[in-house]
Amino acid sequence: MAGNAIDQTRRMLSLVTYLRERPGARVADVARAFGITEDELIGDLDVLPMCGTSFRGGDLLDIDTDGDRIWWHNPDASGTSTGEPLRLAADEATALLVAARAVATLPGLREGDRQALVRATAKIEAAAGEAAGASSRLSVTFESEGGVFADVDRAIAGRRRVWLRYYSPARDELTEREVDPIRLFTMGHTYLEAWCRLSEARRTFRLDRVAEIRVLDAPSDPPPVELRDLSEALVQPAAEDPEVVIEVGPGGRWVAEYYPHDSAEELPEGGLRITLRTPDPASLRRLALRLGRDGRIVSPPDLADAARDAACEALAAYGE
Amino acid sequence: MAIAKAERLMNLALCLLGTRRPLSKRELRTSIEAYLEAFGPGHGAGFGPGRAAASGADGTGNGSDDAFNRMFERDKDDLRELGLIIETVESVDGETGYLARRDSNRLPPITLDVEEAAALGLAAKVWQQARLAGAASGALQKLRAAGMPLAEDDPYEGRMALEPRIPVHEAAFEPLMLAARDRRTVTFDYRKANAAHPEQRCVEPWALECWRGHWYLAGWDRDRGAERVFRLSRITGRVRSRAMAFTAEVPDHVTVRETVESWAGETATGTARIKVRAGHGYPLRARALSARDLGDGWDELEIPYGHGLDAWLVEYGADVIVLEPSELRAEVIDRLRAVAKG
Repeated sequence: MAGNAIDQTRRMLSLVTYLRERPGARVADVARAFGITEDELIGDLDVLPMCGTSFRGGDLLDIDTDGDRIWWHNPDASGTSTGEPLRLAADEATALLVAARAVATLPGLREGDRQALVRATAKIEAAAGEAAGASSRLSVTFESEGGVFADVDRAIAGRRRVWLRYYSPARDELTEREVDPIRLFTMGHTYLEAWCRLSEARRTFRLDRVAEIRVLDAPSDPPPVELRDLSEALVQPAAEDPEVVIEVGPGGRWVAEYYPHDSAEELPEGGLRITLRTPDPASLRRLALRLGRDGRIVSPPDLADAARDAACEALAAYGE
Repeated sequence: MAIAKAERLMNLALCLLGTRRPLSKRELRTSIEAYLEAFGPGHGAGFGPGRAAASGADGTGNGSDDAFNRMFERDKDDLRELGLIIETVESVDGETGYLARRDSNRLPPITLDVEEAAALGLAAKVWQQARLAGAASGALQKLRAAGMPLAEDDPYEGRMALEPRIPVHEAAFEPLMLAARDRRTVTFDYRKANAAHPEQRCVEPWALECWRGHWYLAGWDRDRGAERVFRLSRITGRVRSRAMAFTAEVPDHVTVRETVESWAGETATGTARIKVRAGHGYPLRARALSARDLGDGWDELEIPYGHGLDAWLVEYGADVIVLEPSELRAEVIDRLRAVAKG
């Protein structure tokens, strides 16, 4: 992949500068410093001896490793003098600065960490010079649920159980439960991943749906669980979950943006036929009501009936 | 096997960084094994394309000058992408030479302490987009080469509970990011929220903003002659660059968020009075300006009234009744009727 060749070249240029100062550096330490696996580093070390300016009367980089330590035998050879760290590219400055500015606004970030980030951001801006300019073209706002965040963060740091009053939109009700926090993560909204003592299962709680929180004295003791892969969608329906089919007009196309689905077929006049799976179809009654004239539930029929009944009941309350 | 691209790029970078005088394309072609292997040395004084290809019998000289030129241009672009400033210098005999001066490519001195380094390490991990994730790690590696300290242990281990992530699911993100960076006008097909069909838009892209996990573009809509905000997930098909310079001035501050908030009904224009069944409608209660118990199993709330409130209230079915204003009441009843009809 082309992107990988660029990333690898960039990394090797930095590696050469880094290794010059550190004869006999350990493979494990260098890999950690560069945020790569030892295999990736060994891959780079296989390429570097082929690099240099030998065709211009200079030398190739005489770098080798025994798998434990890395040795560079000719750091002073002509044409290999890439002694200085290279300036930041516009994309590099952008990626780092935009992320740092976003993280610095996170509620619940420890004050010391926030200040470190603000100081680092200013230094990077200064060092990047013109390359920092492009970073003003991107910005990211994280959701803020400050108070709840601080309590969850405190519970995680102190390994304590928490009590939650949590809102379930599917049922339009608040439930109380005790959970053992595992971690917090932010993807659009901020979520708490925890072991729920009520359901004896791992659950994800959106912080803006936490109505009330108390950090308990009891220690947190979640069973060892594999952390959820954050590169995947949050909602992962199981194959055995019931199927729901929804047909929407142009005004209901947003459903396909918000609900993970198996398929979305185009219909004439800009509509969509969306097929999705959910463990609890009843939770989509809200969606059916919201869609109104912009869409309808095709199946299962009892979900369509539930929405219709709710609408009729509401109309009766309005005296219609 | 062809020589790996990373090796070729690395060698080109070392040649350009290592030279004191500009090197011609011809010199670079014979200085880098990957070029020689693929294209041969070219003809003696071979300037540019048009000459017969070098003899192909030995399997090294059959590459055309055109193919070499294309690869060389791409390679230079790739090196510029990772930050190298490559100067082109015209020599007295009209030949173009290339070099990467040390002083213009040097990272200015920067000293980061362990806490700052750790904080940047956390920030660099947030991107879920390949290009920016790669760029962020690349930046850290350059800083590491410049002496940024590495903590003995990851200081966030067990201390920093938060893992922020910036999701980027929209295919239009990368082309728009690059176009905004390079100030290139773009066209794309865009489907407005209620439109039956997408429509082509021609936009000077200014800025991208992520809000509540979705990306938006602000820019100058050339056909409408006005500033517009676009939601990236509604862009259908490819984003195409157009060879047209920006015509509108890029503002210092672009107000993506304010526009999107008003779409999302976050900007209240008034208040509404509603009845909510006891024990229901927590999100409505959470934003209520005032609330009182009606004593009959219902509560009366006063809530902010902005765009989209009707669609939200109707989700609660028979557990929420709008009292006033009358137009909101009528909108909700209208929506309920559509659902009741099935």
